[in-house]
Amino acid sequence: MPVQRLNQEALQQINAETLAGAAKYFSGVLIKDYGGIGGLQSISVRSLGALNTGLVYDGISIADAQTGQSDLGKFSATFVQSLELDLANPQQIPIPARLFASASILSFTSNTFNTNDFSRKKWIAGINAGSFGLWQPYAGLYLPVNKNMVVSANAEVTWAKGDYPYSIDNGIFSQKTVRSNSDIQAFQGEINIVNRFKDSAEWQTKVWTYFSERGLPGSVIFFNDNAAQRLQDKDLFVQSRYLKKYSPSTTLLVSAKYSSLYTQYQDPNFLNNAGGLNDQYTQNELYASVALSQRLGNYFALSLASDMALTHLRANISQFATPTRISLWNCLVLQFNKTHWQVNASLLNTNINDQTQAGPAAMNINKFTPSLALGYKPRPQSPFLFRFFYKDIFRMPTFNDLYYTYISNINRKLLPEYSNQYDAGITYSKTGKSVLSLFSFSLDGYYNDIKDKIVAVPSQNLFIWTMQNIGKVHIQGIDLNAEANGKFSSSLKWTARVAYTWQQALDVTDPSAAEYKNQIPYTPNQSGSAMAAIYYNSWSTGYSLIFSGNRYTLGENDPSNQLPAWNTQDVYISRQAHFSYFATTIKAEIENLFNEQYDIIHYYPMPGRSYKISIIFNNL
Amino acid sequence: MKKISGYLFAVVFLVLTYSCQKDNPAPVVPPKVTTGVFILNQGLYGANNTTLTYYDFSSQQSSTDFFKNTNGFGLGDTGSDMVIYGGKLYIVINNSGYVAVANALTAKFLDTIGFKNAGVNRGPENIIAAVGKVFVSSTDGTVAVIDTMTLSIQKFIPVGTNPAQMAVSGTHLYVSNTGGISASYDSTVSVIDLNSLTESTRIKVGLNPGSIAADEANNIYVSCTGNYGSVGPSLVKVDLSTNQVIKTVDSAVGAIRYYNNTLITTGGYLGTSTVGILNPTDLSAIRTSFIIDGTHIQNPYGLDIDPSTGDVYIGDAKDYVSAGQVYCFDKTGNKKFLISVSPGISPIRTVWVAQ
Repeated sequence: MPVQRLNQEALQQINAETLAGAAKYFSGVLIKDYGGIGGLQSISVRSLGALNTGLVYDGISIADAQTGQSDLGKFSATFVQSLELDLANPQQIPIPARLFASASILSFTSNTFNTNDFSRKKWIAGINAGSFGLWQPYAGLYLPVNKNMVVSANAEVTWAKGDYPYSIDNGIFSQKTVRSNSDIQAFQGEINIVNRFKDSAEWQTKVWTYFSERGLPGSVIFFNDNAAQRLQDKDLFVQSRYLKKYSPSTTLLVSAKYSSLYTQYQDPNFLNNAGGLNDQYTQNELYASVALSQRLGNYFALSLASDMALTHLRANISQFATPTRISLWNCLVLQFNKTHWQVNASLLNTNINDQTQAGPAAMNINKFTPSLALGYKPRPQSPFLFRFFYKDIFRMPTFNDLYYTYISNINRKLLPEYSNQYDAGITYSKTGKSVLSLFSFSLDGYYNDIKDKIVAVPSQNLFIWTMQNIGKVHIQGIDLNAEANGKFSSSLKWTARVAYTWQQALDVTDPSAAEYKNQIPYTPNQSGSAMAAIYYNSWSTGYSLIFSGNRYTLGENDPSNQLPAWNTQDVYISRQAHFSYFATTIKAEIENLFNEQYDIIHYYPMPGRSYKISIIFNNL
Repeated sequence: MKKISGYLFAVVFLVLTYSCQKDNPAPVVPPKVTTGVFILNQGLYGANNTTLTYYDFSSQQSSTDFFKNTNGFGLGDTGSDMVIYGGKLYIVINNSGYVAVANALTAKFLDTIGFKNAGVNRGPENIIAAVGKVFVSSTDGTVAVIDTMTLSIQKFIPVGTNPAQMAVSGTHLYVSNTGGISASYDSTVSVIDLNSLTESTRIKVGLNPGSIAADEANNIYVSCTGNYGSVGPSLVKVDLSTNQVIKTVDSAVGAIRYYNNTLITTGGYLGTSTVGILNPTDLSAIRTSFIIDGTHIQNPYGLDIDPSTGDVYIGDAKDYVSAGQVYCFDKTGNKKFLISVSPGISPIRTVWVAQ
């Protein structure tokens, strides 16, 4: 199955404030970004919608049953070692069954859990300072306790004012102004513990926290520049994984997690008789997984995984449903590997049961969904790999879809949203020497269809919406990725990558509707990215580009709701210096060099040109 | 000035008759020739795409975004209501928090009237004209009195929670207090004395009152939406001589208008696409559908009756996210013509332009 990966080097070049800033460089993705450091960010892959992409941190899902996908802006890219996008599901076994329950997986790993170094203390400290009041200091410590145990801790604080300029274009009422109520202060910290046992078993534990307080600037509204909504997050999770190889052919993986997500949304200007909104939600989840893989003979391997999650959401809202969801996932994977062929087949059983304290609960769901992936190499040493995959999966209605208070209870009859994915692709990958050390190229054509898509429909008026399973979407596209690097001499190296997507995502819900066979909202026909960097001794410089073709803000593709194409180009230069006890790197960046004025979401203006200086100290 | 006031008199009369649902089908002073209609398209919340369509009767052509084409700027976000009064067109832009005032014939922009309280949007919602004034209900619990000469707000009259639609009967203005965005819905109609411009009393109707219409026999009809759960929707009739509810029926009604001893209604949130015709006496259905020629309207939204002809204009909001259209029916329920408002979204209000 197609996999795209950004390694630490690429992540450092991008130097994004959040993971979303890095994930933009993948092909086939749409990052929804409401602008500014504090703007909410989500990732949708191949037009299936954000809620069909699962997030995985160090092997365990980051779930949010309330919204369906966590805000990607909560996750800093600073301490991430690699960021990976897996279509369908990851191929290695054993992995938890829940990783099979999404149409695609965005996973990222921390440095600590990828170490083999149990001997040396390491530390790092740095700061990013940039336009619009950005200050982002961070520090990390990596401490081997003994030969078999490492403890690491890292923390990052982000402050940003987000007061970037933009213009409102409306005839005699046009004006140049700055974004207000767009500030954020956030803290992210984690502690990781790795224990390695004599029998080579490994036990990884992570405690992760995130606190933030931010303004929500809202969409730009003509004649009304007031924005006072605030959002507060307090998140904590503790997760643990135990991996043991009983023999070369038998591996056990046990995972467990507790997470608590608290969200407070305040709107002092909301005109209810309570004199404002102050909604508070607390979501708690307990999760456990056992996965076992077994090789069978020379060619076959089998894996069984069984997961369970208990999710509870409470809120300070009267009449709130207070739902509890019990989810069970059981997954059987069969792999076959022989010279030319790799086959990976999975069957997932999902069983979901909701209970509520007020009002009716959603229907129970019990479904079997398969996936199949084939890989073929003409010769074992061939640079070519041909592949095909098929995956049938669904997403559950989220708690917000089902139990949002201001929505009538019609929506509790909501069904899951189904997607089918078909992909055929080819990869060419060749390693060489000197100038072109690596060249890889991949091309995938895909077809997806979505049925029973969950769509918000205004019911009585614009302010009362219901969720309905009415949408049907047909998606076809081409993803193209290429990556190359090499060195001209021992002191001069280069690296480059490009990603390009062509995509048609047509609404085929209702032949009599104006939207019929129109491109779904916010989906450009073409989009892509490019990155290149040169390293010369201690110097490095690079360029990156993100572009998007024009899009429509509404399902009816009328010129009046077309949003123009845009591109942003960034450049940087950095220098490393080595001292006797430490090294330092100084980096200067210009983001959106040509000061492109653009919206990703209409009337949520994005920042124009900005500058950033970063200094990193570490002990090599 | 004289010319204006004479003109104003004619238009005042015209506006009073249709927009207050106060029946007066045969005006004593014949109106000037009605040459077309303005249609307010609400647009999508947050999308700054409120538009005004002008439909010309003689050419049978519609021109959408007429306001922007005339004035070079867009109206803003979520137009909720409009009225013609005294030669001026008043357009309420809810989420932009202001009322745009324009020439009633040309839509040429004249002024803005802000609805901000210390910078915070009051949420102007509905508009009605009476006794030389224009009244605007706002979500913040007030009804503003606009002086039509100075185009400034003369007074805010405090009413119930989240007031919305209004009707005039006799010397009183009636305002539905919805409580629509509060933890508990309101269930009253505020009564405003048009002489003193103060709230004189509140009438308890049903939970979450919305659309309101007055007849010429001293009654008002109020559609109550309920709470979308345990309390269902209802339609009530109030006798204004006693301010008592005299009839209640369980019926989901979105908009309600009175004309010539009939009530025309759109379906409520329960999703019926039927346009109803009711007997005002007992609120029973005169027939299953007002429309008798089989015309299908996907989602009846705006509902207005031409006071001079009894023609019924029904805005079809379709799915609320694509272009709507407006149907004109004669008073017997047969389609006369169809007005395209594309790309205008959610046509919510029709007013008549008289030269």
